[in-house]
Amino acid sequence: MRAARIGIPLAALGAALFIFGGLMHAADTSIPIYFPNSKLIVKAETFNRATYVPIKEIIEFMGVPYTDALALETLTLRSGNSRLLMTKNSALMSYNNQILLLPSPILREEGRWLAPIEFLTIGLTRLTGTEFRYRPGTPRIFADNVDSPELEMNAQTLGPITRLTLRCSVPLKLDLKRDNQRAILAIDRPALDPVRERLDHRDRMVRSIAFDDSDGDAKIILDLTRDVTDMRLTAADNNRVFFLDLLTKKEPVTEAAPPPVPTPAPAAKPDVIPAQRKVRVVVIDPGHGGMDTGAKSASMVEKDFTLVFARKLRTALQTRLGPTVLLTRDSDVALDNEARSAVANNNQANLFISLHAGYSANKLDDGSSVFVMKDNFGQAFTTAAAGGRDQLFLPWYLGYRIHHQASVSAANVLQEELSKAIPGSKFAVRTAPLAVLSSATMPSVLLEIGNFNNPVNAQTLADDGFQKTLADALVNAILRFSQSPQAAN
Amino acid sequence: MPRHIKIGLIVFGIGGAIAMGFFVDIVGRVRSMVNERETEENPFKPPAQPLYAPTDPPMTVKIFFPAASGDSLLVAEDQTIFKSAEIANRARQILQKIQEGPGRDTMLAPLPKEAKVQDLFISEQGTAFIDFSDAMATAHPGGILNELTTIYSIVDSLTYNLPEIKQVKILIGGVEKETLAGHCLLLLPLEMDLSITNVIPHEEKTAQLK
Ligand SMILES: [Zn+2]
Repeated sequence: MRAARIGIPLAALGAALFIFGGLMHAADTSIPIYFPNSKLIVKAETFNRATYVPIKEIIEFMGVPYTDALALETLTLRSGNSRLLMTKNSALMSYNNQILLLPSPILREEGRWLAPIEFLTIGLTRLTGTEFRYRPGTPRIFADNVDSPELEMNAQTLGPITRLTLRCSVPLKLDLKRDNQRAILAIDRPALDPVRERLDHRDRMVRSIAFDDSDGDAKIILDLTRDVTDMRLTAADNNRVFFLDLLTKKEPVTEAAPPPVPTPAPAAKPDVIPAQRKVRVVVIDPGHGGMDTGAKSASMVEKDFTLVFARKLRTALQTRLGPTVLLTRDSDVALDNEARSAVANNNQANLFISLHAGYSANKLDDGSSVFVMKDNFGQAFTTAAAGGRDQLFLPWYLGYRIHHQASVSAANVLQEELSKAIPGSKFAVRTAPLAVLSSATMPSVLLEIGNFNNPVNAQTLADDGFQKTLADALVNAILRFSQSPQAAN
Repeated sequence: MPRHIKIGLIVFGIGGAIAMGFFVDIVGRVRSMVNERETEENPFKPPAQPLYAPTDPPMTVKIFFPAASGDSLLVAEDQTIFKSAEIANRARQILQKIQEGPGRDTMLAPLPKEAKVQDLFISEQGTAFIDFSDAMATAHPGGILNELTTIYSIVDSLTYNLPEIKQVKILIGGVEKETLAGHCLLLLPLEMDLSITNVIPHEEKTAQLK
């Protein structure tokens, strides 16, 4: 009883503090306001759960004349013949004798005039014509048609590595710095509009990932664990996509310095108008990597061939068709197959191509194959196989079924274009229970080129001119496929 | 000596003899257990049990081998095993034939030479779990068609000849692997696929062989 006598009032007090604390508390946050050629950082405060911005700092920055009448406790802003009058502790404003209502009152604290953030759109836009945009709850404001490209962030655990993928509609310049457990990815562009402020991704390598531009400089702050011993930043898609790979020493990455990535020329003359393209995002998967070398020829290993060729194909695709092209790996790292198709799934790819080189015990073989996932594979192991209703709940290994027909037609187009471009070589369409295709939820194929065990064939595959011909044939095929009704929308 | 002491001594002597006997027996048992352990760990032990009895009748089976050329990836070769009572022992004989490789040079060896079958177990549902040594993956030369023929020479040879085996699950080094050499999915049990062979499905024939 005695414990309850003390406990209940204590609990009540706690609850009261919890409920009323929000009303009394005034927290400071820095908010950047981005104008077309400049930016202003203001201290925003929270009263009664409403965000307040300092009026005088903003209008002084914009050059709006005003009169601060101390005795009358009013603030009058002028622009041409228009007049906006505000009074302390009132949610009503007078604009050219017309009454405007704010969701919460104007405040005057220690000589500072503070207005709820809605004042910008309700009052200031009317007076000055300057538009203001902000997403509710986000700490940044965009003024006057300032270009504010969206920034998408996505983090994945890909087997032994953790990958942060950044995507923006404009090219970015990034600078990576690490200070112990914290990595800062500085972005050399103001006025970015992140789709999410922070990612709720946590794993062995990373504790938190958050966007921050409170000082007007956009950056991503990563809180890392001790496991991260190395980081690798790779650009893709003309610097519009970036992969930041967090690596750990335990991961055996063979440190063969990847050949310099040629910065692809900007898409000069895309063959089709982007709006009509059904294939907007292509994910290319260079097979094998890291410890898994794949097949070996006298002079080459499969993992190196696939990476070199994937980069060439990316350049050719971007130059001629202009889609977003992502590689599942852009360095010599090991990835399991599920992680590879996850890159395609997570980036809403419209086409997924896995690249491999063949190996036949017969040294004379020189055929190539275009593979699609073996039809009906894995069906016996699921009850979901019965109805179309269950497509949303497919087990991961049945993901391929959604676009199986489209995959088959993509493979046929690839076979035709490759046979045309490289006459005398056999290209067969085949099916196999391929791990990398099983969980890909878009049209997906695997191209296995040549025979590493055939010395003549291996030499041809290493030839730059041959790789170019091959890449061109694939671009032709992808263009044809993207115009076919089978291409996914 | 008083009579009761004499009786007492006799009883004590008998008790001691019995106790001694037990002790010797226990020591013997422990020794034999230790010896058993030693023979179990002896790497040079002869094969535990033959895979078939002398009275088991012969049985013709189709062993699927990778074709050196041509349209079919796998080509069947007729070979003889013995119809042992246990299905698992028939399966082991078939795996031996696969490991030994084909008799003709129009076909290729399906498994890396170093690869060994470490264990085999058939579940009640008809799934054959086969555990291969690590060499099965590490010594595999790669290439999808190569990998496909390695896997399906096992799957098809077992499921075609032993209808009791409905599917085959391949383990490597005692554990589940995502793929054999980077391509073909091993996470699910695999069913017979004759589409890549020169043999047409023939239910009646397999039924007869039973
Ligand atoms: Zn490969």
